[in-house]
Amino acid sequence: MARQTSSKGMGLLKIALLLFFLLAVVLPLVGMFSRLADPQVREVFGTPAFASACVNSLVVAAITTVISVLAALLMSWVLCRTAIQGKSVFAVLLTVPMLVPSLAHGMSLVYLLGSNGILTNLLHGSWSIYGFPGIVMGSFLYSFPPAFLMIYDVMRYEDATPYQAADVLGIPKPSQFAHITLPFLRKPLISAAFATFALVITDYGVPLMVGGKVTTLPVLMYQNAVGLLDFDTGAAIGFVLLIPAVIDFLVDVLARDRASVRYVSRGFDLKPNAVRDAVGYVAAVIVTLALLAPIATFCMVSFATKYPLDLTPTLASIGRAFTMGAGSYWVNSLFTAFVVSILGTILAYLVAYITARVGGVSARLLHLASVTTLAVPGIVLGLSFALAFKGSLIYGTFAILILVNLVHFIASPYLMAYNSLSKVNKNLEAVGQTMGVGRARIVLDVLVPATADTIAEMFSFFFVNCMVTISAVSFLSTTLDMPLALLVTDLDAQRLVECSAFVSVLILVTNVIEKVVVAAIRRYRHTQQPVSR
Amino acid sequence: MTIKSQETTAPHKLTVKGIKKSFDGREVLHGITFDVQGGEFLSILGPSGCGKSTLLRILIGLEHPDAGSVLLDGENITEAAPSKRHMGIVFQDYALFENMTALGNVEYALRFDPTRRARRSQIALDALASLGMADFANKPVAGLSGGQMQRVSIARTLALSPEVILLDEPTSGLDADARLALRSQLKNIQRDHGTTMIFITHDQEEAFALADRVMVMGEGSIHQLDEPLHIVENPADSYVRDFVVANLKAKYDSLARFASPLE
Repeated sequence: MARQTSSKGMGLLKIALLLFFLLAVVLPLVGMFSRLADPQVREVFGTPAFASACVNSLVVAAITTVISVLAALLMSWVLCRTAIQGKSVFAVLLTVPMLVPSLAHGMSLVYLLGSNGILTNLLHGSWSIYGFPGIVMGSFLYSFPPAFLMIYDVMRYEDATPYQAADVLGIPKPSQFAHITLPFLRKPLISAAFATFALVITDYGVPLMVGGKVTTLPVLMYQNAVGLLDFDTGAAIGFVLLIPAVIDFLVDVLARDRASVRYVSRGFDLKPNAVRDAVGYVAAVIVTLALLAPIATFCMVSFATKYPLDLTPTLASIGRAFTMGAGSYWVNSLFTAFVVSILGTILAYLVAYITARVGGVSARLLHLASVTTLAVPGIVLGLSFALAFKGSLIYGTFAILILVNLVHFIASPYLMAYNSLSKVNKNLEAVGQTMGVGRARIVLDVLVPATADTIAEMFSFFFVNCMVTISAVSFLSTTLDMPLALLVTDLDAQRLVECSAFVSVLILVTNVIEKVVVAAIRRYRHTQQPVSR
Repeated sequence: MTIKSQETTAPHKLTVKGIKKSFDGREVLHGITFDVQGGEFLSILGPSGCGKSTLLRILIGLEHPDAGSVLLDGENITEAAPSKRHMGIVFQDYALFENMTALGNVEYALRFDPTRRARRSQIALDALASLGMADFANKPVAGLSGGQMQRVSIARTLALSPEVILLDEPTSGLDADARLALRSQLKNIQRDHGTTMIFITHDQEEAFALADRVMVMGEGSIHQLDEPLHIVENPADSYVRDFVVANLKAKYDSLARFASPLE
């Protein structure tokens, strides 16, 4: 009998989760895109503004994709195939830009290289970064870290045996790179390229800050939906923005399944090679500086007396930022991030448990639903929520911000949990059943401890993304629950440059603290539970 | 098909009648019928994919048969929950709780049994000791060797004092030494506790070395069920002759030239 009730409970849980995805993903999107049935709405596609935004977006995304992926490949090579010092430090530094909102990247470029920028003044430069150069640079800062992680995580586990065989056969290094490394990295490179393209083409933070007269699709969408409250135009552009994301999603799904990461692989014995290491070191320093200089700039500006005229350090802008409400926005963000991280981790874990370890038709549907959220850009999701939930109880409250972030970011933590739970012995629940121990107990007593590192990673992913996101929430937040990241533009628009920079610093510091705390907890756990394998 | 029952008047421990099971429209078990005596060691021998693991999962209730019934001491348990069948199962891949120690694994289920909760550590230690694993009680299982892990897994099953232990290829991940050691431990448990054992394997030698009777399966049905010697002397059909007898003979021949020096 116990078996009957537990499977009934599981059935109810599956239905509840499917309903969640139906209400929180499918219905809002269907509602939003049903507006396209109106021929007048489709007239947007014929306007010159739309056409030029389309071209601008494609150009920016294409150029940035090439730069980001090549730089990511170069850095992965340096960290995996050269013997330079401080590889782990570089690996961390290269991902730091993920800890700040894209708005901050755009803003920091203005402080550094804009018409009154620190470097511009220092070098008496007469260049202009507004427009394509700025958008590409900012988008690079924003999209390099994920591209790097996608390639680096595959390359670091590459097996050295084929190279040793090639050495024995006398095959020269460049040929080895072309015929062993590149084919091995083909899938992650393709995935990284499409992911970068989709990331850049749907971001409005960078082009909003440094775009100048160059308008991209997300900016056009943002201007229409948030600025002019023209939701129809917003919906039409949103539909277009869904296309690259859906293509990326399909490529990712096709590439992921056959990605061959070997569990047993022989590491590389790097022979001493001073030239290779020198080149690697210089490249690593240049890329790291390029990524961190803008961040260092907004850190500096936040403590400047009056940017750009007087850069004398002062703490005045911190006080001013807090008088402008940074404190309460910070609390808003922390609250939202914590709730989303906790609920999101539980939700993603539950769904992954069902898809990885219970199975059935509804499990396949749940898998599809949670992975599909990867294909919905934040701004599209945000606008669809604004349209679907306007007038409902949750509109204008924290509940909708929590819900939208949860849906927006669930795919990656879900996949982390799915991969991790799939690897745990499949017979544990069966053993539990024969011993009279139910699924829930096995999950809590065995699976959760076994996947604790993944759970920490999931929590961290939700948290950091909630702190930096601007896309979905910009359509949904009110002055009462506005997250900190949106204050960056607000204060910048009020010419409170130092305060605006300080807000970015606050977000960065919050995320760094979160990362350090999670890492410390993980390390503590590992010292408490020595696993000798 | 030749099925020879144990010639005793004692009631059967386990009776299996007409078990059928299909997956995705393909029948993998075509009406399996046999019985097992209390304290008997039955080997189920067959190539992979012949349905023997599915049969085992049906016996313990992890799968539900499409037709047929399973009786324990004459009582129909076909619909009973796995934990109510007085059976235990040991998997090829150990299925240990890797976040716990050896002792933690063995006493885990006892925590939920009100009658034995208080004595759980002693029961678990006794079970580990009977498999020679007492010294490893406080070691995390993740650091143990395959043979040691499998012994912890058997101790975990034994601690719940099941009347029937089902063993799903428990030795196939182990090296030759660990296999031999585990074999004799299984025989000891059968002798000391009087536990009925059903042992699945695709290895002819192992099936014959351990069993009181061997059940030869192929393609979802029983080809022969008899004492090992009778099977060798009188294979029921060409399948049994080729898959079992010829194979054993080849193994024997390959070693025969060492026979006299070894003596």
